[in-house]
Amino acid sequence: MVFVALTGCAALSPAPSSRDSKPLGRAQVRSAQAASEAIGVGKSTKADVRAALGEAVVVDFESGYEVWVYRERLPEKAKPPATELVLLFEPSGLLAKTRIR
Amino acid sequence: MFAQTKSPRDDAVAVDAMRNPVDKSYRRMVEGMELFEKRHRLAPEAALRFKLLPRHRDTDMRDIRVEIVGESVAIPIALAPDNSFALERRAAALKENASVRPNRKAKTMTWRAEIRTPGLPRGVRRLGDLRLECEVGMQAGLISNYRPMLFGLLDPFLREGPEYCRRSEPRYLFFAERPIFGVTLVAGERREALPVDRLYGGASRDPRWKDELPYCDCEVLVDRAYFLPLGDSSWPDDTRVEFEYMDGKP
Repeated sequence: MVFVALTGCAALSPAPSSRDSKPLGRAQVRSAQAASEAIGVGKSTKADVRAALGEAVVVDFESGYEVWVYRERLPEKAKPPATELVLLFEPSGLLAKTRIR
Repeated sequence: MFAQTKSPRDDAVAVDAMRNPVDKSYRRMVEGMELFEKRHRLAPEAALRFKLLPRHRDTDMRDIRVEIVGESVAIPIALAPDNSFALERRAAALKENASVRPNRKAKTMTWRAEIRTPGLPRGVRRLGDLRLECEVGMQAGLISNYRPMLFGLLDPFLREGPEYCRRSEPRYLFFAERPIFGVTLVAGERREALPVDRLYGGASRDPRWKDELPYCDCEVLVDRAYFLPLGDSSWPDDTRVEFEYMDGKP
């Protein structure tokens, strides 16, 4: 099921200004809030999320559950921690929960 | 020295005739009990128990028998259905430098202190209880990692004993009842979710976490594992530690 009809993570947030035009790194998003709004609990699959947000930091468990982590790219000179978007996929591969911190 | 007596299950062995058991020093566990009394103010309404936890997917946690075993003493310990138990002080066992010995082989199980204030709702723990669990666990030598440097866990700090638990961000692993998605500290109006790097043994910041896993006593509990800011005194002992489980149930 394709819930998010987006083809790349750059489409998830407002058009980058010259200040943040630098490409996002792996598992980075410009806005955790915008990223979470672009995916749907109970609807998005891993493939959907990968297509929308790019590659995540993945922690996969023997149970079949997977936790995916994206972090906002910090503005220059900003101190960590970056805002994080944490996703839980159930063994079926559907997005089950999200959390922003 | 001891002849091994295998039971029908590979990881089960007779308590009284066993090689390489998953045992702990009785003396150190009694030291943990003494520390519990000394620091009881952290969890004034709670009692101290110890708990056995699986270390491998195929560890059979049913029908475990535990004894205090010395040269001449063998004292059975009553195990609750959740595999927790209370320990009594026995002079003869101390004199003989006895072991607390389940009928399982080394590396099949791990141990933790279990200190729970009664009356808390499901899915909630109390920070003071967990602070004291860490201190007793460190004093009693309950951690069973098998490589000194592991996820950055404990390592040289293992030698620090209970003091380690008073660091602001100790990497003492706690295990929730079930696999967790989130852990939130709540004190009055203040709520703060733990960062994901403090769940799952820090796996989200270590690309090689699966290589390290076999050496961690969290091996089959990694989806239930979390660290807490135990030494951060801005969180009182009455802070609620609330769990959001992966399965969505309370």
